[in-house]
Amino acid sequence: MMTEEMDGNIIELTDAEAELYDRQIRLWGLESQKRLRAAKILLIGLNGFGAEVAKNIILAGVKSITFLDNRELSQLDLCAQFLAPKNAIGKNRAEASLERAQTLNPMVEVAVDTESVDDKPDKFFENFDVVCASECSLTQLKRINRACRKNGVKFFAGDVWGTFGYTFADLGKHDFVEDVVQSKKIQSSEAGEPALAKVKFETITTTVKKSITFVPFETILDTCDLPRDGEPYYLLKILLNYREKHGHDPLPSERDTDSLKKEAAVIIDKYKLGDKIDHLICENLYAQISPVCAIVGGVMAQEIIKTVSQKQSPHNNLFLFNPDTMCGKILCLGQK
Amino acid sequence: MAASISGVLDTDLQNAVLRSKVLVVGAGGIGCEVLKNLVMTGFTDIEIIDLDTIDVSNLNRQFLFHKQHVGKSKAAVARETALKFNPDVKITHYHDSITTSDYGVSFFKKFNLVMNALDNRAARNHVNRMCLASDIPLIESGTAGYEGQVELIKKGLSQCYECTTKAPQKTYPGCTIRNTPSEPIHCIVWAKHLFNQLFGEEDPDQDVSPDTADPEAADTAGEGALQTESNDKGNVDRVSTRTWAQSSGYDAEKLFMKLFHDDIMYLLSMDNLWKKRRPPVPLIWTDLPDGVAGCSKDTVEPGLRDQRQWSIAECGSVFAQSIKSLSKELAERQKKCPSDHLIWDKDDQSAMDFVAACANIRAYIFGIAQKNRFDIKSMAGNIIPAIATTNAIIAGIVVLHAFRILLDNLKACRSVYLRSKPNHKNLLLVPEKSVNPPNPLCYVCAPTPQVTLALDTTKMTVKELEETVLKTRLNMIAPDVMIDGKGIVVISSEEGETEANNGRILEQLGIRDGTILKADDFLQNYSLTITIVQREAPAVKGQTPDFLIAADPEDLKPKEEDDGSKEPSTSNGKVEKFDQDAVVLVETEVTPQSSDADVSKKRKTVTPPPDVVNKKQRTENSNGYEDDDICIIEDSDSDMQCIYQKSVSPTKHTNKPSETKYETEAQVIPNKCMLQKHKPLLDEECLIVYDEGDETPIPPTVKQQRAE
Ligand SMILES: [Zn+2]
Repeated sequence: MMTEEMDGNIIELTDAEAELYDRQIRLWGLESQKRLRAAKILLIGLNGFGAEVAKNIILAGVKSITFLDNRELSQLDLCAQFLAPKNAIGKNRAEASLERAQTLNPMVEVAVDTESVDDKPDKFFENFDVVCASECSLTQLKRINRACRKNGVKFFAGDVWGTFGYTFADLGKHDFVEDVVQSKKIQSSEAGEPALAKVKFETITTTVKKSITFVPFETILDTCDLPRDGEPYYLLKILLNYREKHGHDPLPSERDTDSLKKEAAVIIDKYKLGDKIDHLICENLYAQISPVCAIVGGVMAQEIIKTVSQKQSPHNNLFLFNPDTMCGKILCLGQK
Repeated sequence: MAASISGVLDTDLQNAVLRSKVLVVGAGGIGCEVLKNLVMTGFTDIEIIDLDTIDVSNLNRQFLFHKQHVGKSKAAVARETALKFNPDVKITHYHDSITTSDYGVSFFKKFNLVMNALDNRAARNHVNRMCLASDIPLIESGTAGYEGQVELIKKGLSQCYECTTKAPQKTYPGCTIRNTPSEPIHCIVWAKHLFNQLFGEEDPDQDVSPDTADPEAADTAGEGALQTESNDKGNVDRVSTRTWAQSSGYDAEKLFMKLFHDDIMYLLSMDNLWKKRRPPVPLIWTDLPDGVAGCSKDTVEPGLRDQRQWSIAECGSVFAQSIKSLSKELAERQKKCPSDHLIWDKDDQSAMDFVAACANIRAYIFGIAQKNRFDIKSMAGNIIPAIATTNAIIAGIVVLHAFRILLDNLKACRSVYLRSKPNHKNLLLVPEKSVNPPNPLCYVCAPTPQVTLALDTTKMTVKELEETVLKTRLNMIAPDVMIDGKGIVVISSEEGETEANNGRILEQLGIRDGTILKADDFLQNYSLTITIVQREAPAVKGQTPDFLIAADPEDLKPKEEDDGSKEPSTSNGKVEKFDQDAVVLVETEVTPQSSDADVSKKRKTVTPPPDVVNKKQRTENSNGYEDDDICIIEDSDSDMQCIYQKSVSPTKHTNKPSETKYETEAQVIPNKCMLQKHKPLLDEECLIVYDEGDETPIPPTVKQQRAE
């Protein structure tokens, strides 16, 4: 029997689920859907990017998603945070997002936790199959990643600054299957007439088991050896450093000040970049912009879905969206 | 909202967003996402149009809709939900088709830009023409499964939607469907035809009985078998299937015995057919096998009826049940209106049951692998799977393109492709190097659009010219056609004006080799010059296409009769001609290459043999193509998909422009059965199901094909 066992639960799809998820089951198969149906997700940071991830994950039909956020909804959030209503400004972001999130799919358990992630013990993360962290400081990211590693929880991080964004994955040792299609030539000489023999080809799909070992977030933070088109990596470093130092991301009111440029200068100097990333620093990087949240949040959610369903190769390990070229590139950094 | 807070967007963009007026065509998978991005960004004036209503299977991705909205207008509900996100935006919605005359050039001219979020080719073609006619920038987008693409269409600057050849839909020769099926899809197509014969609109091209005009069976057709005369169409003469079924009171046993016993006996009498094939085995209603043939992994899953493989006995009872309810429904409709009939719908339980049961019974008879109802639904309904994430990513890029258009930076709107796996440069989102330039021979966006049309002027009627060529193939909505230099009106869009011409053969109106026709579509503001070339109709209908169209008349001459099938040798690697039984090589094939090998093959339903692939690969490389230049464009929901290939970029050819041979179209349209009515080709109507490169997850079994 193809019943799926995860955390001791046997999950069978109901007819209602089969109907609702019909189009995606036709893409990723019944098995993947059943694995999704068992997955418990922790989403940290209900900003515009978080709202996109939440939407996609809830629509996909996971078992549960918990919104962890101790921040209040701000005017700036409304540039992209479509789950929270305008009149909830000043209220907790996770709580403000609950109602609309739940409406997206009543079959998914949506829970809210308004504590700070810093108040959560390492054991807390054990309750989930996947943790996805956004709007966290470097210190927080490293710590959450460590806690997830320790407990065998799949760790993701992602953020959007204006039109720029990234996603990162540390899945520890990740096992998955991949379909491999081969084309095979077969001779068929029918009725013993070689002249009429036709060369036939058939394609055979086989499922192959694979495994990838990931590295933690901190190991990608000091890379000198970047591939071509890797410049947005430096922008990521600048913005994470900025957040670490200021406790928040660059604000629209700071657009014409030097605070971001100062942080950029440090990186430009360190990596001897000259004017290579000046055009990226000039992008709109203040507050999250909805279409970019959709792009980066879409990539992030698809990686979570892929990971949970243990089908297809996940991106190892950094995805960067270049707002200037619209390139979306995967960088494999920090490998020993 | 980004545009209402100073400093979020740079001032130019902020002002442009606040001042703009935009149109979104389609409120489906991509449309919902685009609308969300627009209202959150702070666009102030948005119009959205969609003729569709909400279905349960939309809810997994069209997130502006919820369960209580099923059955309601997509455009209206999308507006309602988006207004909750941002109550300050003005959204005008239309629950209507964009192809009606209410939305003419003056309508389109109201907008700064138009964003397409459509699921069918016909509407895309139309909006393309309207935006060209209005000179308004259009952002075209599409997704299929994990993949998608976004491109700018701007008159004079970029390719238009019709600059490149879209792969033709797959069709199957009548005799394969009626006499010698060899794949599950043949049985599924047959079952859908049978549905229409019994309950739907009767179409002579959808006959399901043995085809005695099958050239392969010519010598022995029906000899010594049933004493039936066949008419010139090869159909066994008798009362229509419908009339016969009705007179028998839709008796399941009688119908079964006729379809799956008597007709099969008749086929068996056509000896020639079975010399090199496994002969079919007729079934007896009272003695149906109840084991599940080829019972393998597909047979588990007790929970879901759709996923389970049915035994033939079970198919028999589903057959009987579905006939009972369908005939009842038909009778009820005909009580109200005698000429009424049912329309096949993959989401109608009985209609889908009927096709699944019949397809499996026929597959069993011919020794073809049977499928579960879930898979048959994919194939019969031509469902292209769609997911939220892909739509979200593509819609995000659409709106970023919109920003650039508003800033008048159109050159930055290079096409972007979303891949299911990173390419060899590790790119998941792959932008083109520059905007693709227009095809100078495009029969839509060229300064004076023209085509050469090869057809048999002694056979084709005016009505056929209008329906199959002008409307279905050339996508006109209401054409007016005149013979150039003679002032003779052949077709008028004014009702009743040229009705008398409908049944007349072209030649009777003086249309012959060399005749030049002027075809106009007033709504699309589109004029096309058509040069007629006489070409003899095929001896057997469906053997070769009824007509051919090319931008360059030379394309129609040498290859046509003899060597067409040998070499897909146009400069852009496109296949211009195919034999329906042979390898169908289309440009969707992402050639297996390094890390992409797996995906590229997986998404094909038909994979060309390696040697052909290699040849094609070389062709492409010589033109500087890369594997990521090719992508599938969507039809977000459940429609056929269109295939794009990057056109030849100008830099590659500036030295030798003569080598840049654009193939506007030399597509083969095998016969009329795919050229139905002039309507958007929605999945339900498109009886033949595949576009090549379709991602419909045909179960990963074995697909066979033959190389030349
Ligand atoms: Zn064109």
